[in-house]
Amino acid sequence: MLLAQIIVNGVLLGGLYGLMALGMALVWGVLNIVNLAHGAFVMLGGYIVYYLFTTLGIDPLAALPIAMALMFAFGYLLQYVVLNQIIRSAMLNTLLITFGLDVVLTYLAQLGFSADFRTIAPSYAGANFGLLGITVPVAPLAAFAIAWLLAGLTWLLLNRLPLGRAIRATAQNLVAARLYGVNPRRLYAVTFGIGAALAGASGGLYGMISHLSPYVGAPLTAKAFVIAVIGGLHNPFAVVASGLIIGIAESLAALYVGPTYANVISFGLLVLILVLRPSRALRAA
Amino acid sequence: MRPRFVILLVAVTALLAIVPIVGSPVMVQFGISTLLFAVLAQSWNIIGGFTGYPSFGNSVFYGLGVYGTAIAMAKFSLPFGVGLVCGAILAMLCALLIGLPVLRLRGQYFAIATLGLSVAMAAVFSNIEIAGANIGLILPLTRADGMFYELSLGLLVACVLCVFWISRSRFGMGLIAIREDEHAAASMGVNTTLYKTMALVLSALFTSIAGGIHAYFITFVDPASAFDSTLNVRMVIMTVFGGPGTVLGPVVGAFVLSAVYELLANWISTAAALLFGVVIVVAVIFMPRGIADLAAGIRRQGISYLLQNIRRYRL
Amino acid sequence: MRYTLTLLAALPALILSAATLAQADDDVITLGASVQQTGQQANTGRYYADAYKLAIDTINAKGGVKVGDKSYKLALKLYDNQSDVNLSVRQYVQLITADKVNYLLGPFASNYALDDSSVAEKYQIPMVQGGGASGQIYARGYKYVFGTLPPAEDYYASTIDMMGKLDPKPANVALISADDSFDVSVAKGTREHLKSAGLNIVVDEKFAENNADFASILSLVKSKTPDVILWSGHETEALNFIRQMKSLDVNPKGFYAFTVGVPTADFRKALGNDANYAFGMTTWLPTDKLPDQWFGNAADFAKVYKEKFGYDPDYHAASAVADVETYAVSLAKAGSLEPPKVRDAIAAIEFDSLYAHIKYGENGQIVLPQVVVQIQNNELMPVYSTDFLNKPQYPVPAWGERK
Repeated sequence: MLLAQIIVNGVLLGGLYGLMALGMALVWGVLNIVNLAHGAFVMLGGYIVYYLFTTLGIDPLAALPIAMALMFAFGYLLQYVVLNQIIRSAMLNTLLITFGLDVVLTYLAQLGFSADFRTIAPSYAGANFGLLGITVPVAPLAAFAIAWLLAGLTWLLLNRLPLGRAIRATAQNLVAARLYGVNPRRLYAVTFGIGAALAGASGGLYGMISHLSPYVGAPLTAKAFVIAVIGGLHNPFAVVASGLIIGIAESLAALYVGPTYANVISFGLLVLILVLRPSRALRAA
Repeated sequence: MRPRFVILLVAVTALLAIVPIVGSPVMVQFGISTLLFAVLAQSWNIIGGFTGYPSFGNSVFYGLGVYGTAIAMAKFSLPFGVGLVCGAILAMLCALLIGLPVLRLRGQYFAIATLGLSVAMAAVFSNIEIAGANIGLILPLTRADGMFYELSLGLLVACVLCVFWISRSRFGMGLIAIREDEHAAASMGVNTTLYKTMALVLSALFTSIAGGIHAYFITFVDPASAFDSTLNVRMVIMTVFGGPGTVLGPVVGAFVLSAVYELLANWISTAAALLFGVVIVVAVIFMPRGIADLAAGIRRQGISYLLQNIRRYRL
Repeated sequence: MRYTLTLLAALPALILSAATLAQADDDVITLGASVQQTGQQANTGRYYADAYKLAIDTINAKGGVKVGDKSYKLALKLYDNQSDVNLSVRQYVQLITADKVNYLLGPFASNYALDDSSVAEKYQIPMVQGGGASGQIYARGYKYVFGTLPPAEDYYASTIDMMGKLDPKPANVALISADDSFDVSVAKGTREHLKSAGLNIVVDEKFAENNADFASILSLVKSKTPDVILWSGHETEALNFIRQMKSLDVNPKGFYAFTVGVPTADFRKALGNDANYAFGMTTWLPTDKLPDQWFGNAADFAKVYKEKFGYDPDYHAASAVADVETYAVSLAKAGSLEPPKVRDAIAAIEFDSLYAHIKYGENGQIVLPQVVVQIQNNELMPVYSTDFLNKPQYPVPAWGERK
C-alpha cells in the first residue's frame, strides 16, 4: 500500500514538473534558447496569482488564465525588445543573456515582493480524499489535470492551427518561414510569450502546493531543463510524460535509496538515456 | 605574436606578482579569488571554447580537487602539496572515466549529462564517511595569503601557457576541427575520441588544482560548496564574456566580471546583483563575441562596431 | 587587445581606491559585519542587519560606551554579501584591513560563520556572532570567536525532556532531518538524547537540502504511525513539510516539532491557520522577565523593533543584539581598545541582556536551554523549559478534526 501511495505521489508531482518543463521545451525547441530565467518566470507567475488571490480575492484557479495572459505579454515584450537582438549569435550567448535576466528578475522580485515566504492557500489547498486506502491530495491533482490540459492545448496549437504551423516551420528553417510570409520577429515573440505563459501557469500551481519566494526559480529551471531533455523538445505530451517519469523516480528514490539520492536518480536516469541512446540525442541536437 | 605584446604581457604578470608585497590585504583576497576564477574559466575554455563541448561537469573536477586536498590534509595529515596532487589525480581519473561515455554526446545533451554527474557527485560525497559526510571537513588555519596568491598566479600562468600551446599545436587544430565539424574532423584522420578525452583531462587538471588551493585557503569544505553547479555557470559566463576559443579572452572575462561584481558589491552594496545582471545583458547585446573580439572590433571600426553587432545578430 | 590589457592594468588601481574609503574618527568604535541582505538567505539575514543597527543606535542614544575615561560612540560598517559565502570572506578581510573596523559581528548561518570566523582568527580580531550554531565553529580551538547560539546537538534536549512528562507519554518517534552540516549535527545529538530517554526511533530519514517535496517521507511516516515527529531543516522546507502533511493527511498521535520556523512571524503568516499546533523551539521570547541595560527588557525591545522595521523580531534578532551588547559591556570592562584585551574581557564577562544571561563557555559558545514553544490559536506560546510554562495543546488533533 505504501508503494501505491508513493507512486500516486510521484505521478501527481510529476504532472506539475511536466507543466514547468513544457514552456522551456517549446522555447528551446523552436527558438533554440535555453532559458535560464525560466524558473524566474515560474516565480513571477506564482506571485501574480498570489496577489490576485490575496488582494482581489480571485480564486487561484480562476486567476491562472489572467497570470498566463500577463506572462504572455511579458514574454512577448522581452523577446521582441531584448532577445531578438542576439538570437542569431552563438547559442551560448542565449545562455548568458538569460542568466543575466534571471539575476535581474530575482533581484526585482525581492525588491517588489520582499524576501518573505508566501503561500497561495485557498480553502482547498490542503484538501484530500481517500481512494482505495490511498490519500489523494486535491491541489496536486488539479495541477496534474491542468498540466495535461495545457499540453493538449499546446499540441492543438502547434499541429492544428496556422499559427502553430508557422511556428514549426520557423523551428525547422528560418528562411523558408520568411518565404511563407511570416514575420519572424513577431512569431518569435509569440512563441516566447507562450513559453512564459505556460511557466506562469505552473507558478500559480506551484505556489498552491509549495511556497513562493524570490529565490524559488533556480532549482526549478534545473528541473525543467532535465525534463525537457528527456521528453524531447517537440511533443508536449512527451514532455509531461517525462515529468511523470521523473516524479515517480524521485518519489521511489527518496524512500528506497535514500532521499539524498533523489536528484541522483533523476539525473542518472537522464545520463543513462542519453548515453544508451545517443542516436536520438544526436538527431535532436 | 608581436614582441611588444609579449613584453606587455610579461610586464602585467610581473605587476600582478608583486601585488602581495605592495598591495593591501584586500587586493590579495580579491586577487586570489579572481586568479582562481580565471584559471577555472581558462580550463573550461579548453573543453568548452576550443573543443565546443559545453561542460557542466567542471564543477565535479573542482569538487574533486577540493575534496582530494581536504581529505589528504584533514584525514591523513599529509602536506598541502601532496593534497593538491591527490586532488588532481582524482579529477583526471574521473575525467578519463566519465569522458569516454559522455563525450559521445553532443551540444546540450553533453551539457545536461555532465550537469547530472555534478549533482550525483555531490550526493555521493555527502554520504561517504572519509569525506566527513555532510558535516564537512575542517582544514588547518594558515596565515599565508601571499602564498595562496602566488600559487594561484603561478597556476594561471601555467594554464594560459598551456592554452597558448594548444592554440598553436596540432592538438589544438584537432580540437577546433572537432568543434567546427566532428564528422569532417574524423574523416580527416583526427582521433576524435582521444582528442576530446585529452581536452577534458587537461581541463580537469587545472580546475582541480584551483579547487585544492581554494579549499586550503577557505579552511572549511562541505559538499554544497565543493560541488556547487552555479560555479560552473560562472565559468561559462566568464569565458563567453571574454571570448571562448581565444587564449586571453577567458582570463580577461574573469578579471573584468570579478572586478565589476566586487566593486558593485562594495560600493553600492544591495543593488549590486541588479547591476551585475544588467551588465551581462547589455554586454551580450553589444559584444556577442566577447571582449577579445570587442577589442579588435573597436580598433577596426570604432564605436560603430557595437551597432554592427546588433545588426548582424538580430532577427 | 591592447585596450583590454590597459583595462586589465587599471583594475587593481580601481580596487585599491575602493578599499581606502573609510577612515575612523578617534572617538568612534566601529563594528563590522557582512550579512545576507539579498539572495537566498536574505529572509533571515535581515534580522541581523536590522538588529545590529537598532542595538548600536540605542546604545549611542544612551551615551555610548565608556572605555577608561573616554566616551565612545559605536558605529556599524555593514556589507551585503548577497548570500555568497566567498564574497563574505573577502568582505570580512576588507572590514579588518581596509575599513579598519575595531571588532567584528557575525553573518547568519553556520556555513558562513565557519568560513568567516577563520578570517577573525587569522587577523586576531574578536568576532561575536549570533548566526552560527554548529559545534564545528568552536571545535577548532579559535581564541577570537564567540557565539550566542547554543550547540546544535542539544536543540531537541528540552523537547525530549518534555516528552517524558506528557500524558499519554509518547513512545515512538520519527526523526527527519536535512542533510547539511548543521542539521546532521542536530539529528546526531537528537538520536543520542532519544536513546538515553528510552524512546524508539521508528523512522530516521534524511532529505536533500533545498528539497521541496516530502510526499515520500510523509507517506512512510504515515505508514509507521509514530507518536511524535521531530524535524530539523530550514524554514522553507518546514513550511512545505507542514503543507504536505495536511494535504497527505499525516497525523502523528502526539505532536510534531521543528527546529526552525515556528518562532518566526513570517512563517506563521505564510501558513495561516495551518501553522497551529506546531511545536518548535526558541532560545528567546519577548518577555518582560529579561531585563536589559539599554532596552529596558525583551518585551520593550520587541515593541521598538516592530515599530521601527515593521515585523516582529525572533531569536535571531535578539541574539544579534546580544552580540553588540557583548562589546559594549566588555569594552567597559577591558578599559582598552586593544583586541587581545577586549578578547579576554569577552571571555570573562557575565551580564543580563534582553536575549539571555550572557556567559561564554570555554570554547566561546554560549550554553542556553531551548524553550519549547507551540503555536496556539495563531499565537506563539512558550510551553516548556525545565517544567511546563503553559499547557500544551496535546495531543494535537488530526487535520480533519480542526475547525
